[in-house]
Amino acid sequence: MKLNIDGLLVYFPYDYIYPEQYSYMLELKRTLDAKGHGVLEMPSGTGKTISLLSLIVAYQRAFPLEVTKLIYCSRTVPEIEKVVEELKKLMEFYCKQTGETNNFLALALSSRKNLCIHPEVSALRYGKEVDGKCHSLTASYIRSQRHSEPDLPLCRFYEEFDAVGRQVPLPAGIYNLDDLKDFGRRKGWCPYYLARYSILHANIVVYSYHYLLDPKIADLVSKELAKKSVVVFDEAHNIDNVCIDSMSVNITRRTLDRCQNNVDTLQNTIHKIKDTDAAKLKEEYRRLVEGLKEANVARETDVYLANPVLPDEILQEAVPGTIRTAEHFVGFLRRFMEYLKSRLRVQHVVQESAPQFLKDIFDKVCIDRKPLRFCAERLQSLLRTLEIADIADFSAVTLISNFATLVSTYSQGFTIIIEPFEDRTPTIANPVLHFSCMDPSIAIKPVFQRFQSVIITSGTLSPLDIYPKILDFRPVTMASFTMTLARTCLCPLIVGRGNDQVALSSKFETREDFAVIRNYGNLLLEMSAIVPDGIVAFFTSYVYMENIVASWYEQGILENIQRNKLIFIETPDAAETSMALEKYQEACENGRGAILLSVARGKVSEGIDFVHHFGRAVIMFGVPYVYTQSRILKARLEYLRDQFQIRENDFLTFDAMRHAAQCVGRAIRGKTDYGLMIFADKRYARADKRGKLPRWIQEHISDGSLNLTVDETIQLSKHFLRQMAQPFRQEDQLGLSLLTLEQLESEEMLQKIAQIAHQT
Amino acid sequence: MAALSEEVLLVLKKVRQRKQDGTLYLMAERIAWSPEGKDRFTVSHLYADIRCQKISPDGKAKIQLQLVLHTGESTTFHFSNESTALKDRDAAKELLQQLLPKFKKKANKELEEKNRMLQEDPVLFQLYKDLVVSQVISADEFWANRLGDISNADPALYNNNNKQEVGISGAFLADIRPQTDGCNGLRYNLTADIIESIFRTYPAVKQKYSENVPHNLTEKEFWTHFFQSHYFHRDRINTGTQDIFSECAKQDEKGLKSMVVQGVKNPLVDLLSLEDKTLDEGYGVRTAPPSTSNANRTVKESSNAAIIKRFNHHSAMVLAAGSRKGETPTDQASETSSTDGNSKDSDFFQPPVKKVKLQEAIEYEDLQRENRIKTVALNLKKSDRYAHGPVPLQSQHYTTSQDIINSVNYIQHEMVNYKPNLTQVLSSTAASSAIAALSPGGILMQTGAQQAINQMIPTEVQGELKHLYAAAGELLRHFWSCFPVNTPFLEEKVIKMKSNLERFQMTKLCPFKEKIQRQYLSTNLTGHLEEMFQTAYSKFHIWQTRRMMRKT
Repeated sequence: MKLNIDGLLVYFPYDYIYPEQYSYMLELKRTLDAKGHGVLEMPSGTGKTISLLSLIVAYQRAFPLEVTKLIYCSRTVPEIEKVVEELKKLMEFYCKQTGETNNFLALALSSRKNLCIHPEVSALRYGKEVDGKCHSLTASYIRSQRHSEPDLPLCRFYEEFDAVGRQVPLPAGIYNLDDLKDFGRRKGWCPYYLARYSILHANIVVYSYHYLLDPKIADLVSKELAKKSVVVFDEAHNIDNVCIDSMSVNITRRTLDRCQNNVDTLQNTIHKIKDTDAAKLKEEYRRLVEGLKEANVARETDVYLANPVLPDEILQEAVPGTIRTAEHFVGFLRRFMEYLKSRLRVQHVVQESAPQFLKDIFDKVCIDRKPLRFCAERLQSLLRTLEIADIADFSAVTLISNFATLVSTYSQGFTIIIEPFEDRTPTIANPVLHFSCMDPSIAIKPVFQRFQSVIITSGTLSPLDIYPKILDFRPVTMASFTMTLARTCLCPLIVGRGNDQVALSSKFETREDFAVIRNYGNLLLEMSAIVPDGIVAFFTSYVYMENIVASWYEQGILENIQRNKLIFIETPDAAETSMALEKYQEACENGRGAILLSVARGKVSEGIDFVHHFGRAVIMFGVPYVYTQSRILKARLEYLRDQFQIRENDFLTFDAMRHAAQCVGRAIRGKTDYGLMIFADKRYARADKRGKLPRWIQEHISDGSLNLTVDETIQLSKHFLRQMAQPFRQEDQLGLSLLTLEQLESEEMLQKIAQIAHQT
Repeated sequence: MAALSEEVLLVLKKVRQRKQDGTLYLMAERIAWSPEGKDRFTVSHLYADIRCQKISPDGKAKIQLQLVLHTGESTTFHFSNESTALKDRDAAKELLQQLLPKFKKKANKELEEKNRMLQEDPVLFQLYKDLVVSQVISADEFWANRLGDISNADPALYNNNNKQEVGISGAFLADIRPQTDGCNGLRYNLTADIIESIFRTYPAVKQKYSENVPHNLTEKEFWTHFFQSHYFHRDRINTGTQDIFSECAKQDEKGLKSMVVQGVKNPLVDLLSLEDKTLDEGYGVRTAPPSTSNANRTVKESSNAAIIKRFNHHSAMVLAAGSRKGETPTDQASETSSTDGNSKDSDFFQPPVKKVKLQEAIEYEDLQRENRIKTVALNLKKSDRYAHGPVPLQSQHYTTSQDIINSVNYIQHEMVNYKPNLTQVLSSTAASSAIAALSPGGILMQTGAQQAINQMIPTEVQGELKHLYAAAGELLRHFWSCFPVNTPFLEEKVIKMKSNLERFQMTKLCPFKEKIQRQYLSTNLTGHLEEMFQTAYSKFHIWQTRRMMRKT
């Protein structure tokens, strides 16, 4: 249908529309008009992606000079592919309606592992191996070596692309990862580099967060993207963690040992080169003296080494004299490494700030701040000069030099913690140096500064106001949308007591309590008898789940559950879990029914949807608080308190509740779907916890379902499931939660829609 | 009375029942007992009626065997022959063990089958109501040649789900509840079902069983070992004792690994390829998971991990055991297609799993208008057969597909170059008058204008007539199927069927006839039916007179 959104003609590729989609587009339009940033929460399964795409594409067509590009960031590869598929659908609709093929170019970009078509390289299993192998075939100096030794192996796809691929732009169209590969195969071009080159002139780019948030990658991939772009972070509820992760470094003794080897290798290579080709080193030295930046030609293949700090922090000056010659630099690295080694030889936990660290390093081994700042860049230059073929091995020394650069660049927002052993095993020495970022706004700041509109959206962003705080930006719109429902297809229940009135909670004091564990077991057992098909249960942590499973096994609860359903359990091994997941789905598919025991914050809870019969009930055992004894977390909480005035408890609860919401939200993926959401912990009943759940879940928690016993829960669930099992047709929804164009345009409906968006 | 033809499988003397000595007979279809000195059975149970058998524990003085019926009643036999009592009992037990499952399945299957047929076929159901419920013929008679038809018919053609395998209960191991026997020991009760479940789920155990029983171990010893083994109690840490099941555990481990290595087909659940760009080693806040080396894992932890692994494996095996049968044909199909060398084509036509899953994931069914007509999916077992038609056994007798294509091309060619022979055509007036004459209402079509029985008669009467036709047809079929009458059984049946026919005519047909006569005097709707009955009667009379003549 064709919609009129605040004066903008929007093509929407469906015959019907959800009221909240309309409302969402309205808010989005306002954000784009204001050229500002927005935070929008809309329940999963209400067609967020298609609304976003429809509106932004329409906007781009209407105002091609205002918005030139859409950068859509999602979290997982399947998500990225889904977005592109939806985009395809939209474009097909445009084609049908307007009768002309429009000249939009949209493409997905992913790592080499997902795009490589080289028969040998793509056969490798791990992303790192693929990157390393690719690099060994395409690095600039290797290609230049080939001029003298023509029988060196090469990647014909890259050569072909390099020769002709850049002259002709990628023809307009929508390219998913597989389409890029197909195209690459047809033309004989490398799809990865083709995609990386093409994002510069594409209208829509879909890729993962890291390409924008991780400075090491963003610098290479996304540097030249236009300012007049709209950036969308979908599934952004964890965006702060992504930011923090990309700027944090951990150094263990093993890292240092490997680094030692790296440095030795460097030294040897330098010696060798000195004997054979001294001119090369001299040339490098000369360049560094002149402060010449590396010539930017043919550098795109050398991705592995980019500066770990944000572009605006990189010093635009020549490398200082102390580390200009190769030998001096290697000596410098050695000194730095020895210093780190000595720091790891601690008996007790040390925590210090970056300036303290810098002062200490100056006092002990006389290393200045300035050369440290250039460490990463200098290493980059050296590795290129030495023309080391097998580059993947140098990750340790790269890590160390990145750390050096980071620690000397940022004096604020970071902390250094040295732990001599793990908390759980105090007898085994395993010293780790954590250099951890505490301020997510550091990594995302350039994104907010550079692009005119940044939209942060997800199904679970409550409470909305905390994101602008911790990411340090000022949004023009903040809105939370509810899900209009013709039938209440979600049923959140809070179980606070067992049948024997024992309070259910996963809090630390009662964690080992057998009564609680038994009651949790009873809950699952009884649910397994009444819920059809799939049940997913989440635990607060892996260790907790292991303990509970073991004691359920001893008590014979699992055996009884097996009478009703098959049991599958998440393990730390991703491959094993994938298999369990597939079997779980198979068991749901063939009618046998299954239970998946899983972990909040785990991979399953973050990336897998349990649509329809794959998840008729989600049980959240306990409140998934993060492990609060961690020193890194404590430091971060302190920082949040001092810098952003966020109370520790508020943040912890917020973090726990967003994960709980993520977990239970996995079961509902649409209005035709239905599912129970069972919060098995009495603490959920408290207003401070409940109030942090997304609005679309919160508004279905009635006062009557706050502190239920297991039996009451079963009764309510039975009732709910029986209601949901009635046939549900389109006509039932029409006019309430599903609108035709005429209904949408009626005055009354427009008023109703205005209430859907909950402004904060 | 015992039919003479019954086959007696086992006779056991000196078996007491209600304190009376007697003899126990195990026949092909029933178990029976007669008191001493009498020649009739006071106790007789069909195997199909028996739910289960129970035996007295080994140590007990009385050696007994109890049969529990579906109705809940039970009968106890006491084996009182001092020297061989135990042997006798075990012999009876063994035989029953073999026999009972067969009948259990049969009885259920038949009932289910009948039920299903009635549900699926409304005509049959109506017929059943007309004939059986109104007691024209008995239910057995009704089914007598129905079921026969079915078993003769190609079951695959009839319904693929016909033979759906019963899966395995996920909790079959839990059902083996150990009981303490009072002197510091455990007893496990195993049934044939459980053993089958174990074998189906853990083929490795089955292999061990066939390797070791009975030459190395007795059956009992085997299962004792099994329950004592580390394999069964997976949470116990292997103490290194050499038992025959340690190999099974290793095999399972291997199987699990190979499953993991194979990876998953559905890319949406593949956690390995979920992340686009993982952080390099050493970056990130979360430290690497604690090293999984056994050094810093406590015994408890690793046993917990073992339990989790075991549950995953167990569930996967149970699932696989249920679907194993179904998988094999598809495997074969894929193999055959790949031998053709056109497996690539099939890849091309079949959208890859990934694409399908993605499409599914982005589908909003309620946002779309439902305007597609629901089509019936064509379920092809062998797609190439569909594409090429039946493959000839001796190709020279048939035309090959190439020939067919050629001839089609030829015909096409002919059609393109078709030139009407204009000298031999009708004039246009003659042609149009011929068409008019042949159209409904034309001169030549007048006799066919018995139009519209459906317009003259209200629908309920039509429906009734249809039922009558169906019921009469069914009865007549029974009747005619008796000819030629060459056995005494058929003779009996034909007489019965004739009386059935008469009864039907009296109770059903006549009232109907009167009813329509009251309303529609003009049409003789039942004429044909009566004619059919008359034919049957006359045939019967001819047969009867002949028989009389032969007898006299």
